[in-house]
Amino acid sequence: MLGNFDYARAGSVEEGCSLLAGNEGAAVLAGGTDLLVNVRNGISPPKLLVDIKGIAELGRISEEDGIRIGAAVPLNVVAENNKIRKGYPALATAAGAVGSYQVRNRATLAGNLGNASPAADSAPPLYVLDARVEIAGTGERRTIPVRELIVGVKRTSLAKGELITAVLLPPARPGARSAFLKKQRIKGHDLAVVNMAGYYDPSSGELRVAIGSCAVTPVLLPSLPEPVREDDPLDEVAGALDKIAQEAVSPIDDLRGSAEYRRAMIAVYLRRLLETLLERGSDGA
Amino acid sequence: MEHEIKVTVNGKVETASVPAGMTLLEFLRERLYLTGAKEGCGIGECGACTVLLDGVPVTSCLVLAVEADGREVRTVEGEATDGELSALQRAFIEEGAVQCGFCTPGMIMSARALLQRNPHPSDPEIREAIAGNLCRCTGYEAIVRAIRRAAERGKG
Repeated sequence: MLGNFDYARAGSVEEGCSLLAGNEGAAVLAGGTDLLVNVRNGISPPKLLVDIKGIAELGRISEEDGIRIGAAVPLNVVAENNKIRKGYPALATAAGAVGSYQVRNRATLAGNLGNASPAADSAPPLYVLDARVEIAGTGERRTIPVRELIVGVKRTSLAKGELITAVLLPPARPGARSAFLKKQRIKGHDLAVVNMAGYYDPSSGELRVAIGSCAVTPVLLPSLPEPVREDDPLDEVAGALDKIAQEAVSPIDDLRGSAEYRRAMIAVYLRRLLETLLERGSDGA
Repeated sequence: MEHEIKVTVNGKVETASVPAGMTLLEFLRERLYLTGAKEGCGIGECGACTVLLDGVPVTSCLVLAVEADGREVRTVEGEATDGELSALQRAFIEEGAVQCGFCTPGMIMSARALLQRNPHPSDPEIREAIAGNLCRCTGYEAIVRAIRRAAERGKG
């Protein structure tokens, strides 16, 4: 037995929100791969789990001025979706890098965000892709940028009674590129030592990079002062970006790596990320 | 509070009244006495409790029994038919892919799901499919060989 709590299956978003708002100690159950581990470990034992997987609209990926990923869609479905793989490869790669195959059949994209871990693999891609989350509550639904959702370690800006209903990706720009990289200790499932995502639009020279596991929240780096051209010297771009990154992060020592090691890996992985985004060989030519 | 559930397990419809806090793994082992799936870590890391839920592998220690209401579960006990082991099970024996056996039911179910979605997996695909199943004694090489052998036979 995981604990002494009750369970309710919400049939609609409205019902889900009212169950969350009307019950002290209610928690959202999507994939449960973080929540049920916390329950088992006695961390903030809930009184009621509100299962949102029966709400039809939350289980779908649809195209609506971009792509809308319902809050109950499991990560494997995100990772294997052809439109996401083609238009938003950073997100598809990151979705496939969370946990193990079994875990990804349960764990959801919205849950990965709502869990608000500094190491959430899906956060850096969604930061650089300018994704938003749709939130339902007692009033009208609202949307906020993903980067305004996670406000601290395991803390979100959601109010009581609010529920993430979808993650919204803006329309993919033709020719734009994105990539995700994860430094982990072992090849199987492991939390990131450093994870990062980048987005590059060769037509405008816009480059966006976000880094996870190196501060209390994932961090979207401030932009470089000048647009980046495809033939810019890789060393210069990587060096300038590393300088910005080292100021923006505040990594800690933990069981997965020291702060110093994380800072060193940021430099290595930024370079690898740029090699992909600027389509260079590994010799930097 | 107790919840009435109706779950199809290995083709057989089971009805029960379960508390909300009961995991699917506990339901399978302690109510149905299907003790193939094991609890190793209890936090979704080791894969010893892997079963198929509506055809996809999940760690049943992190699924509530009540969540399985109205759904279909397949466990290692559903592999053999009329006392005959499945080709996948036979391949595990032939390749020496079973030593202590604790990880085996989970390995078999992850392999079963792999062969269903991809009947001719490459070795990297086999390794990725069982990356969520930890083995501490047999060694992964024999397990990968067994899955490859079952795939080569075409039926699993």
